[in-house]
Amino acid sequence: MIEKEKLKDYAHKLMFDMDEKEYETLQEEFDVILKQMDLIGKIPNISEVEPMTFPFVNEETTLREDEVGDYLTVSEVLENAKYQVNDQVKVPKVVE
Amino acid sequence: MYRGKSITELREALDKEEITSEELFNEANKLAHDFQEDYNSFVTIIDDYKIKRRADSTIAGIPYALKDNFSTAGILTTSSSNILKDYVPVYDATVYKKLKKAGGVLVGKTVLDELAMGGTGTTGHTGIVRNPWDKERMIGGSSAGSTSSVALGIVPFSIGSDTGDSIRKPASFGGVVGYKPTYGLISRFGLFAFASSLDHVGVISRNVKDSAIVTDIIKGKDSNDMTSFDSSNINLVDSLDNDIKGKKLFYIKEICDKELYKDSNDEVLNKVLDDFQELIDKCKNLGFEVEEVSIDKSLLEAIYPTYMSISCAEATSNNSNLTGIQFGPRGEGESVEEIMFSARTKGFSELIKRRFVLGSYILQKENQDKLFLNACRVRRLIVEKITELFKEYDGMILPASGGIAPKFNDTSEKLSSRYLLLENHLAIGNFGGFPSITIPFTFVEDMPVGVNITGRIKDDALVLNMANKIESVTGYKDIYSKVGEENV
Repeated sequence: MIEKEKLKDYAHKLMFDMDEKEYETLQEEFDVILKQMDLIGKIPNISEVEPMTFPFVNEETTLREDEVGDYLTVSEVLENAKYQVNDQVKVPKVVE
Repeated sequence: MYRGKSITELREALDKEEITSEELFNEANKLAHDFQEDYNSFVTIIDDYKIKRRADSTIAGIPYALKDNFSTAGILTTSSSNILKDYVPVYDATVYKKLKKAGGVLVGKTVLDELAMGGTGTTGHTGIVRNPWDKERMIGGSSAGSTSSVALGIVPFSIGSDTGDSIRKPASFGGVVGYKPTYGLISRFGLFAFASSLDHVGVISRNVKDSAIVTDIIKGKDSNDMTSFDSSNINLVDSLDNDIKGKKLFYIKEICDKELYKDSNDEVLNKVLDDFQELIDKCKNLGFEVEEVSIDKSLLEAIYPTYMSISCAEATSNNSNLTGIQFGPRGEGESVEEIMFSARTKGFSELIKRRFVLGSYILQKENQDKLFLNACRVRRLIVEKITELFKEYDGMILPASGGIAPKFNDTSEKLSSRYLLLENHLAIGNFGGFPSITIPFTFVEDMPVGVNITGRIKDDALVLNMANKIESVTGYKDIYSKVGEENV
């Protein structure tokens, strides 16, 4: 079974935490997931195949005119930010 | 009075001035409120009729619903997650903009599985969505509310998104049509990204023609989505009635063979597969040629893990903008990192966190080649296999699921052939960007089940043409749950 500490490390790298019980559920879930993932490795000569990252190649290539498009104003950008100062999003001091 | 009517019927009623758009909106609004407590289709129900300008399109004046992961300026858009529970966008998704311009009347924003990551309709931050045909069952997801609002007859169509089967699987459970077009036919601009290489925008309706009408309006190249393409040569409505005589379909033996599942003694499953064979006979009577083909089972069994691997990996990076700083509830802490950590810990539900941890695991340096890149390689093998078959055949036909909508406490054996093959093959359509549509084809234990038709990329017109013909022999066109009508 995958170690709980490893799962915590993966979660922390993505900037969140879970409680102990949730990690235990995830540990059990990982058992099944890893068995499912093994099915990927069962395909013969898989390493020789080029990975596919998009459904198909979009053959259209067009050059657009260099025109100003729609853009958001500063006030629109800030509309959902809870803390602001001088037209900027306010966060705790970064540089001491 | 107009509940359950199709776009074509509503268009006619509006043109004959039997009803006004505002009256239609008021009726849909009342139905939305009446069914909200029992079925929970909506995050937001819109109460004010705001249309002032009459547009000239088939959907002008007709109500519809939009999944709550499409950006709508000035209208709350939560993606059914606590981390966006107060988020009001400042711009419109292209799809919404096009529907507005065409005169479509938005009735509400629908509940989804949180951030579109789920297939049950049970993980939205405002509660579970129930199946209109049986309240004790799921509707499926992630386009849960978009499906239930159409299955309840509140609106004739809704917009959803589909990354693995999020339109086409709930359509099967809800007895409605669910259509995911070719990747890039409809712009994704303004759709909150889940897994960009698999995400599609699509339509839910009660007949094939309505899906064609809506898609003709919302498709097209968009400078804001570099994966969208010029489809001015594709006209879906005009192709619906083309002759299909001699068109060739295949189904996959390793998915449809009853022998594979004989140990399960599942009567529902057996009935679905028997009814599927009956439908195949009906297709032959219509003039289709239908053949059984065989595909390596190990390749098919790898579809689900391949989907999980690619989608969870892409999701971890797509959702890294949810920090609670620019938008969303601000977390607590002394530093930027602590604030983000706190906002994300509080804002995501357990299920989303589990998927993110999986994505994080897959992307660790030591796992990347084995899990992520190998999944991308399997994706290519599957797409190449299906594309090769599409050289000989015009489409693939398969049951959209092996059973009816599950009850809320049902569990499934996640390593079984049934789970890996019958319940999760629809992701093929996302891997290759193939146009793919589910239509209702039978009822088992009073619950609907859908059949799926998938075809060549950019050949959406033929896929809808074939689905339209098949729909004519199922006997389940234009159905909806008439729950509540007995009291009227």
